[in-house]
Amino acid sequence: MGSRALLMLTNFNFKTTVSSFGLASNPFFLIKNNLRTRNFSTKTRSSLQPPDLPGLAETARISLAPNEVEEFAPKIGQVIDWFGQLQAVDLDNVEPAIRADTEGDNLREDVPQTFENKEALIASVPSYEEPYIKVPKVLNKE
Amino acid sequence: MASTFFRTIQIHPFLLYPTALFSRRNGVLYCTMKSSQTQTATQEKQQPPKVKVPQHALKKTVDKITRDYEAIIGIETHVQLSTLTKAFCSCPYNYGSQPNTSICPICMGLPGALPVLNSKVIEFAVKLGLALNCKLSLNSKFDRKQYFYPDLPKGYQISQFDIPIATGGYVDLDLPLEFGGGHRKFGITRVHMEEDAGKLLHSGNGDYSQEITSLTSIYSYFSKHTVDLNRAGVPLLEIVSEPDMRTGIEAAEYAAELQRVVRYLGISNGNMQEGSLRCDVNVSIRPVGQSEFGTKVEIKNLNSFSSINRAIDFEISRQALLHSQGQSDQIVQETRLWEEGAQKTVTMRKKEGLSDYRYFPEPDLPEVILTQEYVDSISNSLPELPEAKRRRYEKMRLSMQDVLFLANDMNVAEYFDATLSSGADIKLAANWIMGDIAAYMKNEKLSINDIKLTPQELAELIASIKSGTISGKIGKEILSELLAKGGTVKGLIEEKDLIQARLEIIVYPYERTELNFLIADPVEIGKMIDKVISENPKQLEQYRGGKTKLQGFFAGQVMKLSKGKANPGLLNKILLEKLNGQS
Repeated sequence: MGSRALLMLTNFNFKTTVSSFGLASNPFFLIKNNLRTRNFSTKTRSSLQPPDLPGLAETARISLAPNEVEEFAPKIGQVIDWFGQLQAVDLDNVEPAIRADTEGDNLREDVPQTFENKEALIASVPSYEEPYIKVPKVLNKE
Repeated sequence: MASTFFRTIQIHPFLLYPTALFSRRNGVLYCTMKSSQTQTATQEKQQPPKVKVPQHALKKTVDKITRDYEAIIGIETHVQLSTLTKAFCSCPYNYGSQPNTSICPICMGLPGALPVLNSKVIEFAVKLGLALNCKLSLNSKFDRKQYFYPDLPKGYQISQFDIPIATGGYVDLDLPLEFGGGHRKFGITRVHMEEDAGKLLHSGNGDYSQEITSLTSIYSYFSKHTVDLNRAGVPLLEIVSEPDMRTGIEAAEYAAELQRVVRYLGISNGNMQEGSLRCDVNVSIRPVGQSEFGTKVEIKNLNSFSSINRAIDFEISRQALLHSQGQSDQIVQETRLWEEGAQKTVTMRKKEGLSDYRYFPEPDLPEVILTQEYVDSISNSLPELPEAKRRRYEKMRLSMQDVLFLANDMNVAEYFDATLSSGADIKLAANWIMGDIAAYMKNEKLSINDIKLTPQELAELIASIKSGTISGKIGKEILSELLAKGGTVKGLIEEKDLIQARLEIIVYPYERTELNFLIADPVEIGKMIDKVISENPKQLEQYRGGKTKLQGFFAGQVMKLSKGKANPGLLNKILLEKLNGQS
């Protein structure tokens, strides 16, 4: 649950960050079906829309009771506001930095290497039943 | 609708456990779920009889209705690459190995683990891009496609979104004659690199496991769900076609051509049963003459070319029937599942608008940069592809049936080519490969690489028959020996005493001889014929009186005299001349 909540936040992080780089016009960043959070201006912090928490929870496959929605909404709103501050920075003349610069291709040869400490991997699985990892049941994929 | 159900269950968590208590009542629970579902589900329940009854009773009507509509078909194909290791980590991948043994922190998505791209993935993507006549992006990148599902450990799939490695290509193919024949060209929208997810399984009673489809997952909601992460991170190429296909056959042949191409390139085994080649098909129909598209329906669970064909044809009739009955509003954007047993498509899930995958550039991987030299070197190393092979065989004046058979399997084509380069006659080589050799491979479940007969010996066999050294019938006998045990044609002729005589024993009843090679000297044969004719004046008189069947008697006598050594073709030719008094 912790990591899912984190992803909910990183999504916001992403969108706001992108907008702050002034790249919203790049078709790549036009994320479909995202109207509820897209129509904010790039520089005005106060125009950030509050998140559609039930929708987010569904995407993250978290079930939130109505009282939990009430509890989380202001917290997530705070995080968005925090990222909203970044939008005040003028980046019109700054190249987008998508990733760290690396020298060369950084490719790997197709040579198998078995990971040695598999016991530790399996031990870290929350619910394991030889030889499978037990997982929660999720009904629909999309 | 499925998510509504999902949420309902979440609100009543007490239902999730005592699994054992509920497992025997799955049927009851399932019915309850269905009936409690929304309007669409109820409509769906009513649909099958509507479609099924007229389809059975009034097939002609359906055909007629179908003729008024045009189907638009596009296909998304996932090809699993036959690299030794996964896409972003060095874990080996072998189909069918013990679950959760080929795993590491990278493919399990553990914190801090960083992906490193397998160079073979790029090589294979470039090969396929070139083979599909695509334009390659010299500068592409990876993106994260985010969704939560238990088979996806990282919570996102590394894929390519807006800049795929290859775009705007096409594939050429020839439809088999039994489906009307003809050449087709289908557009390829894009090819991109991505990673596979793990394999999700459910076990009901604990004694069986099967891969999950959304349908089975509904049935098995109260059974155990497990995942095998061996497949997580295995490299895939996704090939998206233009919506250029119009019939089930065209779609199935498109998929078959992709299978040929990936096998020729050696980038995938293309095995549909193992899931190395997976096709999702989009079908919509529109009245003939209309320019805008109808509502698109996606079909999954297509495990063979024939199921692609039949599923599409079923779907076209289903949609056409709804159209003709004024119920086109019941064609909704949804994913349907092909049920092989029932030979029909059923609703799997209705789409709730576009999926929100929140793509963004993968920050952990550098851009994918290709140099023109690299692309050229791969381009120069490409094998002759199926389409080029077919055109070359066609120019050899082989029939389209022969062309399609020989070019279908790269190894068969190579065998054929090697036989020709050993000097064999084109048509005869094709006939032997497609006839006796293909039958043998089918019976023994062998591939052409497993048979002991070398192309050189096949060429020798064909030459021996053509020159009359052995008969066609003896040739077949030698062939089966060579197929099973190997050896040489010459060696077998000598060793087995398989001379022409043996055939003649059957045709002309006289005792078997021990002789080896045939008498092909016309003078010597002529002498023997003269002797036989002079010894049988009565028969000669009868023959010349019209009883021409007696030619066989004379031939038999000459063959007997020659102890089976006379070349039968020559014998009959000279005999006929002599009997008719021409010499």
